Amino acid sequence: MEKKFFQTSIKDSLFTGLIALALFGPIVGLRTVAKNEVLEVHPKWFIVLIIVIVCAVGRFLTNLYVYNRDQKTGIQSSIGKSISNFLDTKGYQIALTAIIFSVIFPFLPFTDRYLMDIAIMMLTYIMLGWGLNIVIGLAGLLDLGYVAFYAVGAYSYALFAIHFGWSFWICLPIAGIFAAMFGVLLGFPVLRLRGDYLAIVTLAFGEMIRILLLNWYQLTKGPDGLTGIPRPSFFGLPFKSFPDEGEQTFHTFFGIEYDPMQRIIFLYYLILVLALITNLFTIKIRRLPIGRAWEALREDEIACKSLGVNPRNTKLTAFAIGAMFGGFAGSFFATRQAFISPESFTFIESAIIVAIVVLGGMGSQTGVVLATVFLIGLIEVFRDFESYRMIAFGGAMVLIMIFRPRGILATRKPTITLEKSSSK
Amino acid sequence: MSQKLLDVENLTMKFGGLVAIDNLSFSADKDKITSIIGPNGAGKTTVFNCLTGFYKATAGSMFLNKENERLNLRKFSDFKVAQKAGVARTFQNIRLFPQMSVLENLMVAQHNKLMDASGFTILGLFNSPSFVKKEKEAVEISKYWLDIIGLTHRADDDAGDLPYGDQRKLEIVRAMCINPHLLCLDEPAAGLNAKESAELNKLLLFIKNEKKTGILLIEHDMSVVMEISDHVVVLNYGKKIFQGSAKETKNSPEVIEAYLGTEE
Ligand SMILES: Nc1ncnc2c1ncn2[C@@H]1O[C@H](COP(=O)(O)OP(=O)(O)OP(=O)(O)O)[C@@H](O)[C@H]1O
Ligand SMILES: [Mg+2]
Repeated sequence: MEKKFFQTSIKDSLFTGLIALALFGPIVGLRTVAKNEVLEVHPKWFIVLIIVIVCAVGRFLTNLYVYNRDQKTGIQSSIGKSISNFLDTKGYQIALTAIIFSVIFPFLPFTDRYLMDIAIMMLTYIMLGWGLNIVIGLAGLLDLGYVAFYAVGAYSYALFAIHFGWSFWICLPIAGIFAAMFGVLLGFPVLRLRGDYLAIVTLAFGEMIRILLLNWYQLTKGPDGLTGIPRPSFFGLPFKSFPDEGEQTFHTFFGIEYDPMQRIIFLYYLILVLALITNLFTIKIRRLPIGRAWEALREDEIACKSLGVNPRNTKLTAFAIGAMFGGFAGSFFATRQAFISPESFTFIESAIIVAIVVLGGMGSQTGVVLATVFLIGLIEVFRDFESYRMIAFGGAMVLIMIFRPRGILATRKPTITLEKSSSK
Repeated sequence: MSQKLLDVENLTMKFGGLVAIDNLSFSADKDKITSIIGPNGAGKTTVFNCLTGFYKATAGSMFLNKENERLNLRKFSDFKVAQKAGVARTFQNIRLFPQMSVLENLMVAQHNKLMDASGFTILGLFNSPSFVKKEKEAVEISKYWLDIIGLTHRADDDAGDLPYGDQRKLEIVRAMCINPHLLCLDEPAAGLNAKESAELNKLLLFIKNEKKTGILLIEHDMSVVMEISDHVVVLNYGKKIFQGSAKETKNSPEVIEAYLGTEE
């Protein structure tokens, strides 16, 4: 028994070494150098050898000590378990703490401009995560093109604000409606698709929107992007250091000193409110018939049909509502940046949002927050080590999937319970 | 003829060259249990799939007679058969929503009326009293059915965590929650032990007698068929080879021949 286990471990690690060789051989081993206008290959077999050995030996050691089923003392059982337990039971407390913290965050002593920017970015991703959670987590539709709706929201906001000069609060719902319409537009052709096929088509849709934005020069200014998008104002009071003659601004109205942080703080609360609205809406709609139908559709579409649930309408509403929140987030992005170009809406954005939803635990609202803080925080921490960022990102995902294969917060609470509804 | 609940005439279903149902005619009564039996691959499930709109029949007609309407089932596609015609079904391999609670499973079955009550979600978002009332009624209906199958204490557990026999029963009452005129059950006794099987018989008789719902029953378990069916239709290779009462069926030489070497 013992000996056999040893043998399989060796075999397994040799195999790992082979894979490492196949992967790193061409990537690391064959380095091309331009010399006298020709490319020369400078092989670096020594480094490849080291990598292969590290992989093989590492695999062997993990086989012996981590995945060894006979002795359950691996990392899986000790720290993992206690974190898991904490996350499984304390979801509500985590959420409450997070909300309180985020409300007071701008006034904490250590909060500076840099942290505020990161916080605003995180909240944008959280909002996007919550929006996409409707589509992926609740309705079970793997949408890899979510960034398209973010883009549609941003561009429709920008165009309406620039050309008509309408205020943020008018352009915001318009952008949401436009994004929702694009959600339906995407929804129709993919009604019959599921899983991988759906993922591929939605991915293509995301790229199509980006390419459209890139090439429709008259409307979108293509790669140059749209500039001069109006900044948001505080219910009509702009944030300006030097007001025009007779103009009321935020600081003159309240009789305080001008400070560039005022606008940042306003933006922070704006996205916080938008995100919380998304959250409240999702929590509420999950408990309504439509939300229950989304989840039922995720569980079993055929059973849904046998109960008279219309799968087409149910899916389209999921796409539309998810897209609408993407559009809201896009409007915020546009007004915050004052400049948008197709470059901000590449596939990697979709990938990050999907990662947030999946790692957070499909359908879990608090999970989205934890995953965002973790992933975006990680990307920020590694900002100075540009080339290692994606490795860290990937590594983090692998770790979460090892410890929490169903996402950080995977427990699902029923949308209605007999105890509560009969005692009322 | 016209007072039957369900009239199926000359139903034919072909898959390429394979004739799964061949010119089948039968009918089912209101508040009666009609069993469809036959060896494996006889085409029983295919009949259900045609009736409930999952397959489009190659030829033939299917009519459902309600009090004052005669509905052509061929006009409805999948979900509309349940929604508009009130034909509910269960599946040979149980199809619950495993990660949703038992109660939620029954609430999804009442989706259409709740959806109307929620004013296409808008009234629901603002907790309109009419919606809250309708939702409470739906919970009461769910509770009523859970009491009948003795699963009230598990209402808030995941449906997928129930024992197999309870899942079968839950799937049946979930179908009943759409308030159907006709209930189609695909091998509900498969995998049940003797005690569960007896409970199932009781449940089906209750549905037939108290709810006045017509039942179409596909079943391999002859004890179930013999004990509760009022009428039996025997299929073999997509053709009807016999129909009659349970007793007549048991003694029919054609039926015995069809089953010899294949079943029992
Ligand atoms: N979608 C399909 N495509 C092709 N052939 C099919 C399809 N569905 C059913 N069949 C064929 O039709 C015939 C009847 O199948 P059906 O499932 O109706 O049998 P059944 O009587 O329900 O059998 P069982 O007792 O095993 O459930 C079989 O030969 C089956 O292979
Ligand atoms: Mg069958």
